[in-house]
Amino acid sequence: MRRSLRSWLWRVPLDQEFDEEIALHIEMRTRELIAGGMDPAEARAEAIRKMGNVSRLKRECVDLGRKRDREMRMTLWLEELRDDVKFAIRQLGAAPTFTLVATLTLALGIGANSAIFALVDATLLRPLPYPNPDRLVTLWEKSPATAKGFASPPNMQDWNSRSRTFDKIAGFTPSVASMVLARTDGTAETISRQWVTAGIFDVLGVPPLAGRTFTADDEQQRARVVVFSEGLWESRFNRNPAIVGKAVKLDGELWTVVGIMPKAFEILGKTSMWAMRPFVNMPPRARGAYQLQVVGRMKPGVAIEAAQSDLTAVADGLAREFPDFNKDRTVVMEPMHDTMVGSDLKTTSMLFLGVVGFVLLICCANVANLLLARATARTRELAVRSALGAGRMRIVRQLLTESIVLAIIGGALGIGVGYSILRVAPVVIPDGLLPGTVTLQFDMRIVAFCAIAALVVGVLFGIAPAWQATSFSSPEVMGSDTRTTTGAGGRLRSLLVVGEVATAVLLLFGAGLLLRTLLAVESFDRGFKAQSVLTMLVDPLGSTFPPNTMQQFFDQVEAATRAIPGVQDVAWSTAVPLGESIFGEYPQTYSIVGDPPVEQSRRPTANYQVASPSYFSTLDLPIVAGRNFDARDTAKSPRVAIVNEAFARSLGGRNPIGLQVAFTPADSPNDKPTIVEVVGVAKQVKQRPDERTDFVQFYTPLAQDLIGDMMLLVRSQTDRASALAPAVRAAIESVDKSQTTGVASVTTLEDIEWAATGRHRFRAVMVSAFATLAVLLAMVGVFGILAYSVQQRVRDFGVRRALGATSGDVMRLVVGSAIKVVAAGAVIGLVLAALFGRLIATVLFGVQPLDLPTFALVTIVMGITAALSIAGPAWRAARIDPAQALRTK
Amino acid sequence: MPITSTKTPNALLHGALDALILKTLTRGPSHGYAVARFIEETTGEAFLIEDGSLYPALYRLERKGWVEAEWGTSELGRRAKLYRLTGAGRAQLAAEVATWKKFSAGVSKVFAT
Repeated sequence: MRRSLRSWLWRVPLDQEFDEEIALHIEMRTRELIAGGMDPAEARAEAIRKMGNVSRLKRECVDLGRKRDREMRMTLWLEELRDDVKFAIRQLGAAPTFTLVATLTLALGIGANSAIFALVDATLLRPLPYPNPDRLVTLWEKSPATAKGFASPPNMQDWNSRSRTFDKIAGFTPSVASMVLARTDGTAETISRQWVTAGIFDVLGVPPLAGRTFTADDEQQRARVVVFSEGLWESRFNRNPAIVGKAVKLDGELWTVVGIMPKAFEILGKTSMWAMRPFVNMPPRARGAYQLQVVGRMKPGVAIEAAQSDLTAVADGLAREFPDFNKDRTVVMEPMHDTMVGSDLKTTSMLFLGVVGFVLLICCANVANLLLARATARTRELAVRSALGAGRMRIVRQLLTESIVLAIIGGALGIGVGYSILRVAPVVIPDGLLPGTVTLQFDMRIVAFCAIAALVVGVLFGIAPAWQATSFSSPEVMGSDTRTTTGAGGRLRSLLVVGEVATAVLLLFGAGLLLRTLLAVESFDRGFKAQSVLTMLVDPLGSTFPPNTMQQFFDQVEAATRAIPGVQDVAWSTAVPLGESIFGEYPQTYSIVGDPPVEQSRRPTANYQVASPSYFSTLDLPIVAGRNFDARDTAKSPRVAIVNEAFARSLGGRNPIGLQVAFTPADSPNDKPTIVEVVGVAKQVKQRPDERTDFVQFYTPLAQDLIGDMMLLVRSQTDRASALAPAVRAAIESVDKSQTTGVASVTTLEDIEWAATGRHRFRAVMVSAFATLAVLLAMVGVFGILAYSVQQRVRDFGVRRALGATSGDVMRLVVGSAIKVVAAGAVIGLVLAALFGRLIATVLFGVQPLDLPTFALVTIVMGITAALSIAGPAWRAARIDPAQALRTK
Repeated sequence: MPITSTKTPNALLHGALDALILKTLTRGPSHGYAVARFIEETTGEAFLIEDGSLYPALYRLERKGWVEAEWGTSELGRRAKLYRLTGAGRAQLAAEVATWKKFSAGVSKVFAT
C-alpha cells in the first residue's frame, strides 16, 4: 500500500520533509563525485555548493508546501460540501411532500419577516435623509402642563442667538394647511403649504434643486417668499426653471418663488410648498404663542447632553427675564429621528417584528418536527453510514447541509413572498402611519436579510434533529425493528409542539387585545353622529370676497346647498371631529375673567373652533345647557362662545353660562386677548379616536369670527352622502360667478373616522393575520406529532384491543396524551401573555393588558383548534382492527 | 552554448524545466536527485541546472496537482521522498510537448530559409 505524504493520519512536518529530501540529494551527489575520483571532503563541499543557497530554497519550498496544504484542505472541504449538497438534493427530491411542506412553511415565515424587516429598516434603522443627521435634534418647550410643547417664536430666536452649542436653530408649523393659487387662466387651485422660519433649510442642510432658500434679509424685509417642492414643480410647472424668481398669486397676494426643494425634504410634512413666516419686531405677547416645532443642528462634536445643559441654561435665563411667559418653562430635546418616526410607529414596528419573529420560530419548530420524524425513519441508514466509518460530526454536517439546503430554497421563495407583500403593502398601510419620506421598498437589504435569515433558520431547525439522529449505537439500531420510535426523539418533538402552542397562544392573546382595542375605538361614543355627512374645504379667494361680503358668500352657499334635494342639514366650521383643523392643532391658553390672575405660562389650554349655528344639529351634537348660536350673535353684538363639558367640569361646580373667558389664539399672537361670554355647553366630542383625557373646547360663531377657509358640512337624508358632492360643488359655483373658489378635501365624516382609526385597524389586522398563521402552524404541529405517534403505535393499540380494551379506551389514550401537550403549551402561553401584555399597553385603548374576556376567548379558540387537530388521529387509532394490527410487522 | 538557469528563472525556463521534470517522471516515481541526474544525462549537459532550483519546481508541480509525493526507499536503503506523475501531469506534459513541437517547427522554418 502506498503511503501518501499528504495523509491526515500520519504526516511529517513540512520543514523536516524538505531537510530529509535535501540531505539525501547531497549524500547521493557526494557519493557520485567520490566515485568519479574526488576527495570525500572536497566532494561533499562541491555537492553542497551545487545545491546553492539552501536556507533560501527551504523558505521557498516550505512556503509553496503550506499554500498547497491550504488549498488541498479547501478543495477537500468543497468536495465534501458538493457531495453533501448533491446528496441532500437527492434526499429532498425523494421525499417531495416533506420538501414541499417544509419549504412552503419556511417561505411563509421568512417572507413575512422580510416584509416586516423592510418596515423596521425604513423606520428605525435608516438615518434621516439629511447630511450629518446625528447632529439634528428637535427642541420642545416643557411646561408643567405639557412635557413636549411647541415653542413661541421669540423663545426660539433667543435659543438660536444665546446658545453656544448649535450651528443654527429654526422652526416650522407642524400642520400643513393650504393656499389658493390663482392660475393665469383665472381659475383657482388649492395648494398645500407649510409655514417655516427663515433658517430651516440651513438647519437641515439640504441644498435647493434650483434657485435659493430663505435668507436673513428676506426675514428682515418681511418678504413674501415661497419655496416649491419638487413634486409641485414637476406636476404644475413641468420642471421649468424659469419659475424661480417669478411671483405667483397666493391667497390674493403676490409671493416670490425663490427656489425648489428636492423630494427628500418633504419629511417635515406632506406639502407642496414652504412659505416663510417672518418673526421680526414681535410684540411681547408673542412670547406666549406656542406654535413652532423647532429643530436645531448641533455644532460638530457636541454631545446631546452638552447641548441640553447649554439650552437649559438659556431657558433658565429666559424664565428670569420673562417670568410672565416663561416661568416654569424649559427646553427638552431629543434626536430628530425619534421625533420624525414617532413613538407610535416605533412601537408598531417593534410589535410586528416580535410577532413575525415568533411566527418564524413556529415555522422552525414545525420543520424541525418534520425532520425529527424523518430522522427516526432514517436511523438505520445513518447507522449504516456510521458503521462504514463516518464520524458523528461528519453525519451531523451532512444532515445540517440538508436542512440548510432546505432553508435556502425556503429563503429564495421567501424573497418572492416578501416582494409580493411589499407590492401590496402601500394599499393596506393607512395614510399618515409612515412619515413623509419613509417608504417601504424592496432592495438588496431585504435580499440580504432573507439570505441571513435562511442560514440562521437552517442551523436553528437542523441542529437538534441532526444531533438527535446521530445519538445511537449502531449495532443496536441495525439489529432492531425500525418501527420503535426512540424515546428521546419523541420527547423533543413533544417539547417543540408545547413551544409552538405556547407561542400561538401568546400571539392569539396579543391579537385579541388589539381587536378589542379596535372595537373599543370604533364603537366609542364620540358624542356626535358621523353617518351620512359630506365634508369639504371651501376656500374663497380673499381678493374676490372682501370681509364684508364673505358672510354673504357663506350664507348664500349654505342656502343653495340646503335647496339640493336630499340635503338634511348644512353647516360651516373650521374643524371636523377626528379630522383636520384649519388652525392646525395649536392649543390656546385661556383664563376666566374675574378669577385671580394666572401667569401666562401656567394657564390652561383649550382647542378653538369656529362654527355656524347649524353645526350642532348637523352633527347631531346636543347642547346640554344654555343656548345655541342664533341670529342675536352678529359681528356687532358682544362676542359669545359655546364650551364643552370638559370646560364645565373644570369649574368645580360653578355654572359656566354667563362666564367671561379671555383667550389668545396661538395663531395670531399679535392680537389682544379675545373676551367671550359663555352662552352654552355642548356635549363632549372626541377629537382623536383614542383620546384618553377630555380636551377643553371652545366654539365661536361664524358671524363673529370670519376667516378665509371653512369646512362645509352637509348631512344627507340618505346613507350615500358622497353622492351629493357634485350637486354641492355646483351650488358653490352658482354663488361664485367668477369661479375662483377653491374646493378641496372632499370626503365624508365616516371616511375621516375610518382613517382616524386606521392605525388601530392596521395593527389589529396584521397581528390577527400573523396569529392565525401561528395557530394554523401549531395545529399542523399537533396533528403531525399525533398522527405519527398513532402510526408508530398501531401494534401497541392492536395488542391493547386484543386484550379487551375498547375503541373508546384507545381513543382516550391518544386524546389524553395530546391534551397533555396542548394544555402544557396553552398554560405556558397564557402565563407569557400575562407577563408580556404590559409591553403593548401603549397601543391599547379601552382594554387592560390582563383582559379576562380575551383570556377566555383565546382558551376557547385554542381548545377548538386543538380538538380539530386531535380528532383525525384519535379517530384513526380507535378504528384500528386488532387482528390486522397484530399481523403487520 | 549551454542554457544556464539563473537565480530568477524566466517563464520560458520555468516552462522548460517543468516539462523536463514531467517527462523524467514518465519513467516512474523518482526522488529529486534521480530527476536531476536524468536531466543532466539525457540533455547531454546542455541544460545545466543548479541542483537547488529543482526543488521549488517540484513543489510548484505538486501544488498544481501534476505530481504527487509519496514515501519510498532510496538506493541507500533510507526513507526517500518520491515524486509520481499524476493524470493531470501527464496531460500537461502532452500539451507542453505539442507547444514545443509547434514552436521549434516554426523556428526551424525560419532558419531553413
